[in-house]
Amino acid sequence: MKPPATKADSFSQQQKLRATFWLGGLGLACLLSLILALLTGSISVSGYDLWQLIIDTLTLSSPSTSSNTLATTVMTELRLPRALSALVVGAELALAGCLMQVLLRNPLADPYVLGVSGGAAVGALFSIMSGLGAFWVSGSAFVGALTNLLLVFGLSHAKGVWSPSRLLLTGVVTAAGWGAVISFMLSIGEDNQLRGMLFWLMGDLSRASLPGWHGLFLLISLVISALLARPLNMMLRGELQAKALGVSVYPLQITLYLLASVLTASAVTQAGSVGFLGLVVPHILRLSLGSDHRLLLPATALAGACLLLLADTLARTLIAPQQLPVGVITAFIGVPVFLWVLQKSNRGLT
Amino acid sequence: MFIVLSLVLIAASLPVLAEVSVEDDLKNTITLEQPAQRIISLAPSVTELLFSAGAGSKVVAVVDYSDFPEAAKELPHVGGYTQLDIERILVLQPDLVIGWKSGNHPDTLEKLRQLGLPVYTTETRYLEQIPVTLEKFGRLAGTSTIAKKEAEHFRLTLQKLKDQYQHKAPVKVFYQVWNKPLITINKENLINQVINVCGGQNVFAELSNIAPRIDIEAVLKVNPDAIVASGMRVERPEWLDEWKDWPAINAVQKRQLHFIPPGHIQRQTVRVLLGAEQLCQQLDQTRHRIATSSTGNNQ
Repeated sequence: MKPPATKADSFSQQQKLRATFWLGGLGLACLLSLILALLTGSISVSGYDLWQLIIDTLTLSSPSTSSNTLATTVMTELRLPRALSALVVGAELALAGCLMQVLLRNPLADPYVLGVSGGAAVGALFSIMSGLGAFWVSGSAFVGALTNLLLVFGLSHAKGVWSPSRLLLTGVVTAAGWGAVISFMLSIGEDNQLRGMLFWLMGDLSRASLPGWHGLFLLISLVISALLARPLNMMLRGELQAKALGVSVYPLQITLYLLASVLTASAVTQAGSVGFLGLVVPHILRLSLGSDHRLLLPATALAGACLLLLADTLARTLIAPQQLPVGVITAFIGVPVFLWVLQKSNRGLT
Repeated sequence: MFIVLSLVLIAASLPVLAEVSVEDDLKNTITLEQPAQRIISLAPSVTELLFSAGAGSKVVAVVDYSDFPEAAKELPHVGGYTQLDIERILVLQPDLVIGWKSGNHPDTLEKLRQLGLPVYTTETRYLEQIPVTLEKFGRLAGTSTIAKKEAEHFRLTLQKLKDQYQHKAPVKVFYQVWNKPLITINKENLINQVINVCGGQNVFAELSNIAPRIDIEAVLKVNPDAIVASGMRVERPEWLDEWKDWPAINAVQKRQLHFIPPGHIQRQTVRVLLGAEQLCQQLDQTRHRIATSSTGNNQ
């Protein structure tokens, strides 16, 4: 029998094929979701309009006279920014969820379990209540998320003893504290503000603009998580084994915590607390692909991206012109898919 | 203490007044042995209507945001309309509590009833209900003379507006309650009726929700002739001008982005006529713009 370290070291030919198949398939699914998202909505847009837009963009020419200008503006100004930010937010949440589950070694962990979204929500609701503009709302959400990150990190280190379970407890209790602050704010908010506040809490992509630096950040995180994949595989065997195999566990845990928290912070800053995605997408993929993180991490990010984009497209078209909160749709799609995969699978949830 | 005592003395010295019996908007009959002297209002709009009905001096407490008329601001509060402080209501010993069906929690109103307080519940769905409610408040508070006069004035003004504007060329109106999220109103909302009085057509009248959330695309599709917004304060909301990014909309092309202060149109009170008058003039301006630009095109 081969020693385990070498087995985890190199991709066999078959594994490579399998990875290409899955990542390629998920990538294609994202592309199709993007096209669907660009084509659907209240204003009817034809495939020809989209084609024309792509050609014009690629050749850098000004819109040709034959193109439908309203359709073009709707696609470039409304649907594209929203779709791109759905892709980024979905990928960030799914990736963060996957990392949190490994870090806390708890299948119930999701990106929000350590209170990042709670901190962000308090920041965002505070600026909504003060009547500040969209820029301030997302700015203070980000500050709130970072405050939580430092708070939980500091508290879980208080007496120098650090362990994932201590981190989990600190995070859960801090999250409960934010929850109380949120309830307090909701109970004293004014009517018109209350709607905006509730939509923020339910997760809502209608405020989203082009992802910008969030997209860049996602790419950097994907590269970092690719570098972490092998040590993470070893961590699955338990801390002691990983240490024996030469993994420096503590720095790895810190990196995981920071990466997952900042990914979550970036996601909630753009779209509020979109629920459920970060919990279920990593599980579905772990059940279908196994827990080799070299494949699991990028696949989770892609699947999260597709799912959120599809869900958002449904949320804005299902009972159009009325809009649904996207979190509702992610749950409607995700719950049955997850239960189905769980029934079919005989793998464990670690 | 002294005030309470003197009020009790005054009440005791008054001649015995006739029993009043009035049906509220939920078809419950409220019977008082004598006109109410200590009224608690559980909605900002109810406070306004009480003052309009001449019963302002009999209001002993109000809820948060009861900011009109000026005198209402001085009154003690019994909490927000969604979270009422029942104990404070009891301490004030009201002889009439006026609630609001779509604002107050039904359990709270039921609790007050169980505690033996007469509770009148309002639910204003039609403009025509406002003068009726005024008259009922007048009877409950023994101020019928003022209430009737005010109700009559309301009916006349409303009729005048209808005669003048209702049958003019229809204008497609998009009423924007809020920008993020983008919220409008359907036909069940009182604002929809104000729009109709002015000869406008609410473009989202047929949606199922009373305050539906929509997206920008939906507005582009229905292409309204005028966009009307209120915001939260007395100033024009900044976000109304964000529509200028969408010159494809008729309302933007013809510069028909109108503002009406929320107090003049979002509350079910006498002041809704101020909003109606303002809106009718604004829509008339829109009508004028449409007419001139279409003749311009023909030339």
